[in-house]
Amino acid sequence: MTIEQQRQGLAFSGSGHPTDQESLRFRRVSSRMSTQIYHEPNSSTSLAQEEEQSGSEPTLELRNTVFPMALKKAARQVQQMQVPAQFNGGSWKQKRIKFVRQFKSNVREFLYFFSLWGKTLQKIGGNFGGGVQSYFIFLRFLVILNFVSFLLIAGFVLIPSIVFRSVGIKPESSKADVSSECLKYDPNPQGLVVFYEFFLDLLSGTGFMEYSYLFYGYYNNSVIVTSLVGSHFSYNIPLAYLLTAVFYFAFCLICIIVRMGKAARVAVTTGGSDVRSYSMIVFTGWDYGCLGSKATKLKQRNIYYRLQVDLEEERLKKHAASLTLCNKVTLHSLRVLMFFVAVGLIVATFLAIARATTFSQENSHVPGILGLFYTYLPSIVITLGNFLVPLLCDQIALLEKYPPSATVVVALLRAVVLRLVSLGILLFTLWKQIMCHDSRDKCNLCHYNHEDYQCWETSVGQEMYKLTLFDLLVSIALLVLVEFPRRMVVDHWSCKLTQWVGRQEFVVPSNVLGLVYGQTVVWTGALFCPLLPLINTVKFVILFYCKKITLFYNCRPALRTFRSTSSAIFFLAVLLFGWILALVVMIYSVAVIHPSFACGPFRSFFRMWKIVPESFSTLPEGARDFLFFIGSQAFSIPLFAISCVFMCYFIALASIYGKSVAMLRAQLKLAGQDKQFLVKQIEKMKPLSPQHNEGEQD
Amino acid sequence: MGNKQTIFTDEQLDAYQDCTFFTRKEILRLHSRYHELAPHLVPMDYTNEPDCKLPLALIVDMPELKENPFRNRIVESFSEDGMGNLSFNEFVDMFSVLSEMAPRELKAIYAFKIYDYNVDNYLCKEDLEKTLNKLTKEELTPEEVELVCEKAIEEADLDGDNKLSYADFENMITRAPDFLSTFHIRI
Repeated sequence: MTIEQQRQGLAFSGSGHPTDQESLRFRRVSSRMSTQIYHEPNSSTSLAQEEEQSGSEPTLELRNTVFPMALKKAARQVQQMQVPAQFNGGSWKQKRIKFVRQFKSNVREFLYFFSLWGKTLQKIGGNFGGGVQSYFIFLRFLVILNFVSFLLIAGFVLIPSIVFRSVGIKPESSKADVSSECLKYDPNPQGLVVFYEFFLDLLSGTGFMEYSYLFYGYYNNSVIVTSLVGSHFSYNIPLAYLLTAVFYFAFCLICIIVRMGKAARVAVTTGGSDVRSYSMIVFTGWDYGCLGSKATKLKQRNIYYRLQVDLEEERLKKHAASLTLCNKVTLHSLRVLMFFVAVGLIVATFLAIARATTFSQENSHVPGILGLFYTYLPSIVITLGNFLVPLLCDQIALLEKYPPSATVVVALLRAVVLRLVSLGILLFTLWKQIMCHDSRDKCNLCHYNHEDYQCWETSVGQEMYKLTLFDLLVSIALLVLVEFPRRMVVDHWSCKLTQWVGRQEFVVPSNVLGLVYGQTVVWTGALFCPLLPLINTVKFVILFYCKKITLFYNCRPALRTFRSTSSAIFFLAVLLFGWILALVVMIYSVAVIHPSFACGPFRSFFRMWKIVPESFSTLPEGARDFLFFIGSQAFSIPLFAISCVFMCYFIALASIYGKSVAMLRAQLKLAGQDKQFLVKQIEKMKPLSPQHNEGEQD
Repeated sequence: MGNKQTIFTDEQLDAYQDCTFFTRKEILRLHSRYHELAPHLVPMDYTNEPDCKLPLALIVDMPELKENPFRNRIVESFSEDGMGNLSFNEFVDMFSVLSEMAPRELKAIYAFKIYDYNVDNYLCKEDLEKTLNKLTKEELTPEEVELVCEKAIEEADLDGDNKLSYADFENMITRAPDFLSTFHIRI
């Protein structure tokens, strides 16, 4: 595939029907091209291509050629004429390839019909660019993930529980040797319930909501071993509960890793390039799919802004290189000071959250609106912290004077640390309360703080439920009370202040961190509140439509765009970090804390994971031996050795590919230089003639 | 397909399917778009392969192309006479290359043609300057334009002749992750 050959092809101009001479010339060209190895890395046509290449007939993938349409049609006619000369299997192969291609395009059309919100995403991408679109794609991924997880939980835990409860199977009482104090659990409200309490209970997960399928405490530890309808039917609800939770985590991890792999592949093939480079902006900056004059103007401003940013960085680099030693020292010491200030702010937020959580847990029995405020205090403090501290850090960043790209990265890192660690602090404080680190005597009886938490898993679940709900309420409240009025004010009242403030910008990174935070809360709470994935699905769907509305009515596209390809990996990496946090919580709850005696599926076990060895003992002999063998050293050491071998193989393969890419690039450079050299030689050897050939420039 | 349409013969539609990335439905839809541009010029019956070309001014009036700063160059690159007059074959070819299923190499070839204003098969400094001015609506100062063009050529030029040949351009495009999604017009 060289430009020369295609230009020769283009030398046929004019009519659509080639003359005899032209078609003959064309046949020569087509056979020349077909003998070349035509490497097509594009996945959609590669399969058909490779089949055609490996087959006995040298056909040419017409749609990938650069000939004008009339020539392509003529080439096709030539190919069709060649077909009967080959053996029958050849034409059957062509038909099969065609059929496969048609089938694939039909399947693609069918699936496109089913893809959620496809048209909306296209519209968003066309009007606001790839960065904002990547946020909505991420949101869609989380909606689907949560919905599938809910189906998993519903199928294995919820529906069996409902069935067994309706059949009337009573929970087994705890066989543990423990005082009756620990078995006390009365979540239902005593006496007459005031009307507005219903609403308060809905918001805080207490009262009528506490003893329901929503929370851990309602599920029974029924182990059904019956002979229903003649067949031997057994269902172990506690085991199902635990294994579903473990499998849910594993499933989410696999989804994230697969998605990350896809994004990473794109990044690696482009060699981790510097997208901000000038040639990229000039040649690939324009989005041809941009529609409408407003979007076009904005895109132009956006490109202008990107170039300005790069030029600014050049200027800053030159300026930094010209700084005296004294200036450098002051700059660096200022940066260190500002770093400590930022760390101080973040630590102050953490302390505030810890204090708020302790206070809230101590005053959880205050009735009425004040009680509601106290229960929501941790959520309020977290949200306030996550809102104020990044603003302050932005002001600090102005003093630090990092180059623009570094500023963005630093701000993002600070925000990520703030969000996820604040959640961690909340959980740590809760754990301290449950395991009574402050007042030892409360835990002596039941191994956990049974005075304050008769059913501690439900309390943790309630806390996560409140966080999720509060997040949603704050988003909707911001939309209604801040963003719409801001737009009204800016549009209808023009003064200097409003011009300076301007319309809202849709800032992608902070919105994505909000999503990651919400998802981490759900993962943490899924063990204690099995319906939380369903609530989260509904929450994210509402959030999608709210954000879409605010995007189209209130926002102007950001001047500072977010790169969509490398940012996809970043979002997924942060999500993975949140997953690890949730995993730590789950492992801790399952392995270290004693389950409540009074409620839940694990009430008769010393630790939650003890259900697994116990169920093990009920397995048939053969299965037990097989599982013991898998766990033994005789199996695991050879497995480990084989995995090491495979890993070494893949590492070697990856390094070979990297080296061959670098070598090919060098070859390309050499080929260009060779061409220049040859052209110059031709110029030297040819006598001066009136014809100008391609080599002569300027 | 159930309904009989008389715009193209089945043979013609098969040929279009093989030579472009469109399905039958999409080709018929493209024909109706082409017809809309000039209903009195474009015949509804294409079975005899009529020789009808639409001028540049009509094509760039399409909503998909109207706001594109490179619309004239796009249409000129796909026209055989280089003046921007497109027959239906060339019209389909243009949108086929700009569709999302066209491979990277094909798009790169045509992108190179589009940005090559003086059609000398090299992207020289003047070509880049024109491209940049179209991109930013001439809001950069001349010094800034000069600086950006110099840096762009410096980054991409592999063979050191101070202009970009197709090989340089293609090498740079392979490192651009967004190229496939930005060089794409939905129709």
